[in-house]
Amino acid sequence: MTTTVETTPGTATSGPGSSRPGAFTRIRRAIGGNTTLVNIVGLLVAIVLLYAYLTFNAVGFFTAANQSGLLRDAALIGVAATGMTLVIIAGEIDVSTGPAVALSSVVAASAISQWGLPTWLAIVLTLAIGTAWGSLAGILRARFAVPSFIATLGLWSVLRGLAQFVTNALPVQIPDSDPIMDALNGDVLGVPTPAIVMIVAFLVFGFIARKTPFGRSVFAVGGNAPAARLAGIGVRRVRVTLFAIMGFLGAVSGVLLTARLGSGNSTAANGLEFDVIAAVVVGGTAMTGGRGSLIGTFLGVIFITLIGNGLVLLGVNSFLQNVVRGVIIVLAVLLNVTLSRRRGAREDD
Amino acid sequence: MTTPPPPATRTAIAEVRGARKQYPGVLALDDVDFAIAPGEVRALLGQNGAGKSTLIRLLSGVERPDSGSVVIDGAPLTGGVTEAGRRGVATCYQELSLIRDVTVAENLSLGKWPTGAFGIDRRQMTRSARATLERLGADIDPDAVVGSLTLAQQQIVEIARAVQEEPKLLILDEPTSALATAEVDIVLGTVKRLSAEGVAVLYVSHRMDEIRQIADTATVMRNGRLIETVSIAGADTSRIIHLMLGEALEAAPAVRAARTTGEVLLRVEDLVVTPKLDGVTFEGRAGEVLGIAGLLGTGRTELLRAIAGHDRFRSGTVSVRGSVEHRPTPQRMRQLGVGMTPEDRKGTGIVPGLGIDENIVMSDWKRVSPGGVLATGRIRAATKALGQRLAIKADDLSRPINTLSGGNQQKAVIARWLHADSDVLLLDEPTRGVDVQAKAQIYDIMRQVADSGKLVVFVSSEAEELPLACDRVLVLRGGRIREEFRAPAITVPDVLAASMGAGAESGAAAEQTIPTDVDVHRVKDPS
Repeated sequence: MTTTVETTPGTATSGPGSSRPGAFTRIRRAIGGNTTLVNIVGLLVAIVLLYAYLTFNAVGFFTAANQSGLLRDAALIGVAATGMTLVIIAGEIDVSTGPAVALSSVVAASAISQWGLPTWLAIVLTLAIGTAWGSLAGILRARFAVPSFIATLGLWSVLRGLAQFVTNALPVQIPDSDPIMDALNGDVLGVPTPAIVMIVAFLVFGFIARKTPFGRSVFAVGGNAPAARLAGIGVRRVRVTLFAIMGFLGAVSGVLLTARLGSGNSTAANGLEFDVIAAVVVGGTAMTGGRGSLIGTFLGVIFITLIGNGLVLLGVNSFLQNVVRGVIIVLAVLLNVTLSRRRGAREDD
Repeated sequence: MTTPPPPATRTAIAEVRGARKQYPGVLALDDVDFAIAPGEVRALLGQNGAGKSTLIRLLSGVERPDSGSVVIDGAPLTGGVTEAGRRGVATCYQELSLIRDVTVAENLSLGKWPTGAFGIDRRQMTRSARATLERLGADIDPDAVVGSLTLAQQQIVEIARAVQEEPKLLILDEPTSALATAEVDIVLGTVKRLSAEGVAVLYVSHRMDEIRQIADTATVMRNGRLIETVSIAGADTSRIIHLMLGEALEAAPAVRAARTTGEVLLRVEDLVVTPKLDGVTFEGRAGEVLGIAGLLGTGRTELLRAIAGHDRFRSGTVSVRGSVEHRPTPQRMRQLGVGMTPEDRKGTGIVPGLGIDENIVMSDWKRVSPGGVLATGRIRAATKALGQRLAIKADDLSRPINTLSGGNQQKAVIARWLHADSDVLLLDEPTRGVDVQAKAQIYDIMRQVADSGKLVVFVSSEAEELPLACDRVLVLRGGRIREEFRAPAITVPDVLAASMGAGAESGAAAEQTIPTDVDVHRVKDPS
């Protein structure tokens, strides 16, 4: 990361009509050669363009119902993406998110409608169980050195299987009028509750990442684990905590999903983990660890959600949608990597 | 001019004539003439930066001289490594280049697998590997996986791979540096056999006992020049050390006056770390800079890592202010007030993406996070003070640490332990790869830190910097502390002689002059 050579003072205004290299250089200068910021600005531009395009070209995009649905979709990805950002910054990965959400929704629904627990207790129980299996993955990683991809791949299979086994792959209905569940599926001042949960999660994890010893330890562990260890940081504890957080967030999403669907569903959130990972990576977090931001992930979530929503509204063939989405995600990351490499960021391998 | 070319009237197998090699800022080789004859075992000695590596790189075709020439078997070398290899120069570097997860035989036939009607002929592979190993007198199973062998055996396999090419000149760069004393004989035996077959061996090492066992002559380099080639039988160690150091350094007066020091902060008792350390015992006191000297591979790093809790040790204890630890972790040792800055700055020292400031405060977040929340103001204040105290050259301490020069990175890693207010600082080669000015600053910092009532343990492979910085120097050799020097009686020749295994500087048959190593009880052979 060499410092940019040109240091002439310039204002950050990027005139839409100005020549492209000039504007680009000026933006870069304004943000002081920070790769994360380059990424964020790029994503913001992409989101604005995408939003404008869909507003004018996709029938039913700019309606209250669709905007509210967009936010709910974003929340499903976003809540887990907050924790996933930290996990990936620490140089780890968690692929068990989809099944974790599904089993959590089954646990929550069963606890309410079959075990007769009060809703609040059912939720607490779900969160506790989610945290427990997350911790288990963390212990496998930290204590027994099972690579996190493998540990969570195992968990992925176990959780999905358990959810389908206990429900016979049938939805578990919850009672129609449950005030807590209704609130979780409702709106506050027109904003869907799940979206509020997501925003709170982003604020909390943004704070944790930047302002707490734990958050900075995550960066240190991901940047250079042996150095972090030698500096006296409890590397194992950091890792276990991260996966416990992922389990917890998966359970939160599961509860929200139950409220939204009115049932616990063992087949829900299929492939969610890939949307979550894609959002984090599109947001500029390096898979190699040590680098990333919650703001980037937030924009990544919006970006991924918009694409998903837009492709549906534009009437793209549903199989082809996956192709397009895949290509866009890879292109976004490619651009990101190319930009940081051109900026002289270190490339260790 | 340098001394006349060696007495080899036999035709030389490899020669370097009037070679000069300039690197940016350094004249690495200055008009060097060198020749080695078939069957000769030649030791190559010199301090860091003397030009040994450059000479090796020229001979093995890795680099070409700016002027002068390299002559192999009578004809000049014009190509690179491939040509040098084809014409009979093979080199084994310090770092092993074997693939650990496959067998010895496979390692020996990488890239030139014998093939039969049904793909690779594994039996043929094993047969030829066995033949090569037997030729070297090595008892190694060709079908064993390399990772399961001892380091000495792996070193032999490395040599075997070179020998397969039927070299006329074999260059061994510190081949025993990674080995425990008992294993060295295996490698030495192999060298003797090859020499008897007529292979010339250029052997870089500073272990005098080894050199005396196998080499006929020793070439000493200093500051890019070939100083002299002496016959081993005719030169005692003090003469060789004299040649390595030159007049100026040897005559350099001891600078440190004796000091009074405080309470015992660190006590290491009978520490055993396999395979390098075999019962290390010492103590360090408040207010002193304690140097640890020893040749490459004597276990200096292993010693510090064990004390810092980075690696487990097999037995022994580490005590800090009376708290006795049997299985410390870095976290535990930090709490006790012990911090280590590793030799491998990039690998285990800095966290590259993080700021300089965060790299400093990561040893103790609590100090800068009242109520569990990092306070930017406190971080800035703490790191700014340390940055000034250690003269870390950075306009903005929040910049990523990898934007700093090596010396400034090192200072930041030292600052890390000042931030944690550690009582014991373990510095492993803190001056490696830093410029002259930063070196001087680091000596000053060590002094300052010691004067503030702490203990600094300073590991260095450069004997000449120990007298500059230390109040006391311990010499590690053959797995133990062999000698101790106290200011004002710390001199470069003494430290070097003790490291190389030559007893006291006089070279006279003092207490422990050694045909084999002192570490007799671990050597199996009954001689």
